[in-house]
Amino acid sequence: MTRKTLVYVAAGLMQLLILAGCSSQQVTMTDPERDPWEAYNRKIHSFNMAFDNAIFRPVAKGYDYVMPDAPQRGVRNFFRNLSYPVTFINLILQGKFEDSMTATGRFLMNSTVGMLGFVDVATKLDMPKYDEDFGQTLAVWGWRDSRYLVMPIFGPYTARDFIGRGFYGYFHPVSFAIREYNNYIPLVVDLISLRAELLPFQAELDAANDPYVLVRDVWLQNREFKIYDGDPPQPDYDALLEEY
Amino acid sequence: MMKHIFWAALLLFVTQVTQANNVDERDPLTIIEETSSNMLQTLDERRAEFETDPQKLRAIVREDLLSLLDLEYSARLILGKAGRGISDEQLGAFADAMSNVLVNRYADGLLEFRSDKQLEVLPMKGKNTDKLTRVRTRIKLENGGFAPVDYAFRKTDLGWKAFDVTVEGISYVITFRNQISPRVAADGIDQVTEEIIAGTFKIND
Repeated sequence: MTRKTLVYVAAGLMQLLILAGCSSQQVTMTDPERDPWEAYNRKIHSFNMAFDNAIFRPVAKGYDYVMPDAPQRGVRNFFRNLSYPVTFINLILQGKFEDSMTATGRFLMNSTVGMLGFVDVATKLDMPKYDEDFGQTLAVWGWRDSRYLVMPIFGPYTARDFIGRGFYGYFHPVSFAIREYNNYIPLVVDLISLRAELLPFQAELDAANDPYVLVRDVWLQNREFKIYDGDPPQPDYDALLEEY
Repeated sequence: MMKHIFWAALLLFVTQVTQANNVDERDPLTIIEETSSNMLQTLDERRAEFETDPQKLRAIVREDLLSLLDLEYSARLILGKAGRGISDEQLGAFADAMSNVLVNRYADGLLEFRSDKQLEVLPMKGKNTDKLTRVRTRIKLENGGFAPVDYAFRKTDLGWKAFDVTVEGISYVITFRNQISPRVAADGIDQVTEEIIAGTFKIND
């Protein structure tokens, strides 16, 4: 991609962003506590949907069409395996030393027997899988509740997880490739394969009464689930009822 | 006259007995284990039939599952404040419409199962009281990973009944509540129930 095309693409994106901003109606706050920036977030969300419709999803669909399921899984396995440094450091930071050893074993196994991580041998051998990042560590350290924040292109975050994401770049090989070698290919492949993995959920999104709220709900709940390593406290059902 | 009273009394007695029999004495873990193994066995035996006619599976699931759920409680959770002042009939109609959505989704999802080894019921963990409890299961995915699926149960007069299901931390009640209750607040329960039945209401179906 030449510099000129990049400028055109950037200009196009800006235009979309402005259009998305203009077309949005007045916003009533649906969750003032967790989402006080809803008005802003909805604008970025509309922009992201437009970008997804025009570029991201078609590319992911093409990828999904060309690549058979097995290699697609392989690519996802490869990138998941690559996030080992981030997982490892955060397991340590959260005091989960034993798990950090298991995670190392898993990484070594998948990188060798699993052919650079394309085959997830460790899971087949019932080794536990870990999903940790800096945002989760900040949560474990006490920053439990954080405002919902939608980023252009990258989508749902919280303020906490966005800050966590800043550290990520130093430790993740995909970001390392960009910083040291100016090589964006791993990032692009990572994003496209990730988007392709999410294609089956499109029908749900299209059918939602309020897609913005659906994405927020699903993302925040799943995030909570990850912070608590798959065992979050049950929702306070009584409180839901008391409003009744 | 006496005859009428006799029959009425008998009828009342019979209903009471059957209702008493309908109390589910099983604990939540057993309910999940027995229901899922029955369901997967039926699926195994009649898969070809269900694949050509998914409606059949939906009917079976409906029959086997509905008595295990506390639909009105789920409905009240979903409606929240928006359900204030609605009649029992309106709540019933809404709960019924929602149950259809739920049953159909569940039945269609069931067809994806390839073997009964794909489902594992995990030991109880966390805060469980004699009124509210959570059964944890996990489903083995094709890619070798697992999807955790939890069921929330509450103790009712008819035994333990499920009222929420959570997949990877995402609760059915919470997610549907935030899609549905604003619409109910704006347009009224009858309108929304009608749309759900007609399939025109947009809720992830």
